[in-house]
Amino acid sequence: MIRYTLTRLALLLLGLLVASVLIFVTLRVLPGDIASLIAGVGSSTEQQDAIRERLGLDRPLPAQYLEWIGGLFRGDLGTSLLTGTSVVDELAQKAEVTVPLGILSLLIAVVISVPLGVLSAMRRGRADGTALSVGAQALAAVPVVWAGMMLVVVFAVWLGWLPAQGFPRSGWNDPWAALRSLILPALTIGIVEGAMLLRFVRSATLQAVGQDFVRTAAAKGLTRDQALIRHGLPVVGLSVITVLGLQVAGIIVGAVVIEQLFSLPGIGRMLVADVAARDLPKVQGELLALTGFVLIVGFVVDLVHRVIDPRQREAS
Amino acid sequence: MLRRTTLATAAFLAAGLLALTACTGGGGEPAPTTVGEPDPDASVAIRLVLEPGNLDIRETAGSALDQVLVDNIYQGLVARTPEQDIVPALASDWTVSPDGLTYTFTLREGVTFHDGQPLTPQDVVWSLTTRRDTPAWRDSARLANVTSITAEGQDISLTLSAPDSTLLWNLTGRAGIVLKEGDAVDYKTKANGTGPFMLADWRQGDSITFTRNDAYWGDPTAAAEVVFDYIPDNQAALNAALAGEVDVLTGFDANLQEQVEANGDFALELGQSTDKGTLAFNQTSGPLADKRVRQAIRQAIDHDAIIEALASGQTQYGPIPELDPGYEDLSDVAPYDPEAARELLAEADAEDLELTLTIPSFYSTTIPQILVSDLDEVGITLDVNSVDFTTWLTDVYTNKDYELSFVLHTEARDFENWADPDYYFTYDNPEVQDLYTQSLAATDEAEAADLLQQAGRLVAEDHAADWLYNGASVIAVGTNITGMPSINVNERLNVVEIAKSNG
Repeated sequence: MIRYTLTRLALLLLGLLVASVLIFVTLRVLPGDIASLIAGVGSSTEQQDAIRERLGLDRPLPAQYLEWIGGLFRGDLGTSLLTGTSVVDELAQKAEVTVPLGILSLLIAVVISVPLGVLSAMRRGRADGTALSVGAQALAAVPVVWAGMMLVVVFAVWLGWLPAQGFPRSGWNDPWAALRSLILPALTIGIVEGAMLLRFVRSATLQAVGQDFVRTAAAKGLTRDQALIRHGLPVVGLSVITVLGLQVAGIIVGAVVIEQLFSLPGIGRMLVADVAARDLPKVQGELLALTGFVLIVGFVVDLVHRVIDPRQREAS
Repeated sequence: MLRRTTLATAAFLAAGLLALTACTGGGGEPAPTTVGEPDPDASVAIRLVLEPGNLDIRETAGSALDQVLVDNIYQGLVARTPEQDIVPALASDWTVSPDGLTYTFTLREGVTFHDGQPLTPQDVVWSLTTRRDTPAWRDSARLANVTSITAEGQDISLTLSAPDSTLLWNLTGRAGIVLKEGDAVDYKTKANGTGPFMLADWRQGDSITFTRNDAYWGDPTAAAEVVFDYIPDNQAALNAALAGEVDVLTGFDANLQEQVEANGDFALELGQSTDKGTLAFNQTSGPLADKRVRQAIRQAIDHDAIIEALASGQTQYGPIPELDPGYEDLSDVAPYDPEAARELLAEADAEDLELTLTIPSFYSTTIPQILVSDLDEVGITLDVNSVDFTTWLTDVYTNKDYELSFVLHTEARDFENWADPDYYFTYDNPEVQDLYTQSLAATDEAEAADLLQQAGRLVAEDHAADWLYNGASVIAVGTNITGMPSINVNERLNVVEIAKSNG
């Protein structure tokens, strides 16, 4: 187990290193730079060069990369060229929106998908089971933007129950207002992700039904549903945990889109704005933090899997 | 593929919204509103489109900064009204010598900065001198021919090396901003000015909040607080308005008038603006160096159809918009005539042309769609290269690596770009440059405007570019809101008089 953990940890660090090089290089390939944006329309090339020099953008790229990596070891992700604030501080501030949004979305996705997925597998061949699975298929195909718009029109514009956009300026000092502003965005991500997850849960459950041990349990006198719930579902649970790990990346991507749509001041919206402004030190810090987060989630999922799956425990 | 998906999504969305709005139809008669007394403690929320990257008024370009910070937070000796008149600000009065070489301003007394420090004549001298001598500061070149800036008592004198009919105008903008000498404020995220509002909070990626400056030297602001909410998407802005989360929408789409006015809480207003939808031609080489080809493109474009599609704005056939001095109606220079365009192209031996249009991606696809179909009509194949704004700045603006470019130039009185052969317009006509220089040197306003008008006609007759439209300021204002300016609000938005009543 310890050897396994260490190997996975080494892979995680290697993944981060490769990611840092990729992020750094791809951002440098992007056309356009921040100096021309700061100087703007009406500026001379000399003016742009002066700003470039002041920001240190004229230094060789390897030197810029090493400086960035050096900072990482001190826990410094870099600073914004535009505002001079540290990336860590900015991320922490925007995480107040994005992290609760992600957790809420994931919860909604799980609450929708697990019971309905199992149900639709157990009722397969019957009208309600088919309706569930067709409904999920349709929902999973809905563009997240459209789903969001529909929810806003119904719950914010018509019924006036929830805010249509934005996050309260008082933040979590007013927890109810903050939560209310996240419900529609989280529903939007949660429903679409949940529909995809539902299909997965359904097929995993169907697979479990066909397993030898479920059949054996049924042969020993349990009904098929009892056998599935008692002996099949733990196996389904395991694969759901793995998929949830992957789903985190999907939710981050969803957050980028949804934060634009709902004008939420979160990490996704900040990232889009920073790319547009070519605030490269900030973008690369943000991307590395997100990559690191996804890699760590994957790492944890692997470990959890190892711990709770008796088959894998024995193999080690 | 990506584009097709987006289109399909948009169609799907539009269909869904139509179905939904159809259900609410019939309830659309505006309720009789009783506008109550303005509430001095009110907070007014205004939707804006473009958020500034930072708040550094000294250096960072972009009308997103001028729009909110100038007039409200920072001031100069003089200011401009939405109607583009020059009025006193930190100077109570000014005189210009008959030869146009000396400007004398009387500085107000008892003015303080937001942090409590007093405004001194030395602050004015320092601000203007530093601006002139620091090339990295925005608009520093606009003070280049000011040879001396001195103070005597409350009198500030500017001496010029040559008359400059644009000086006062320039002083109403960035070039004239007065800061505290040696101020230690972090200009990128904070502000310290003399204006009627103080910067209370900037939540990056979200909003900027101003509160009333109780120590202001002039009339107090009508609202206690103004919040600028940055909502880039028009549909999201519409939803925010209908849900009562914002009081004013700016940069709105006039095609959404019915939806925003549906519940009677908002009214759409169109104000004039100096937004010029400029189709620039790179005329240094290639087919566009031929004036006939440029004229053919202009005559192939149905400008009235563009105005109709935007549901706002007006046509503009020359470089100067109606709000600026020197405007004249130049519609006779390049009337819509596809037949004439085809003949011109044949004459220039430029049939079956293929051209590329470089356009920043945040503009709506309406414009490129119209251009593609209009030009196709006369045998020109137009490829649309949609790039982000930063890429546009590097490729088109700095490197002049483009054939056709579309950008909305919002700045007022920016004729100078047609007199600068190094500008990305690549237009070089010594006669125009000479007329512009004369206009600058004119000491009489009418004479300066007349010279600009002559130069403007030459630029239009050379087909140096095409002006697709003169945009309007499209705003939707809550029926309980008064004092919202409607002219040119994308460039400057003075919110001193904006008031909200709880009627």
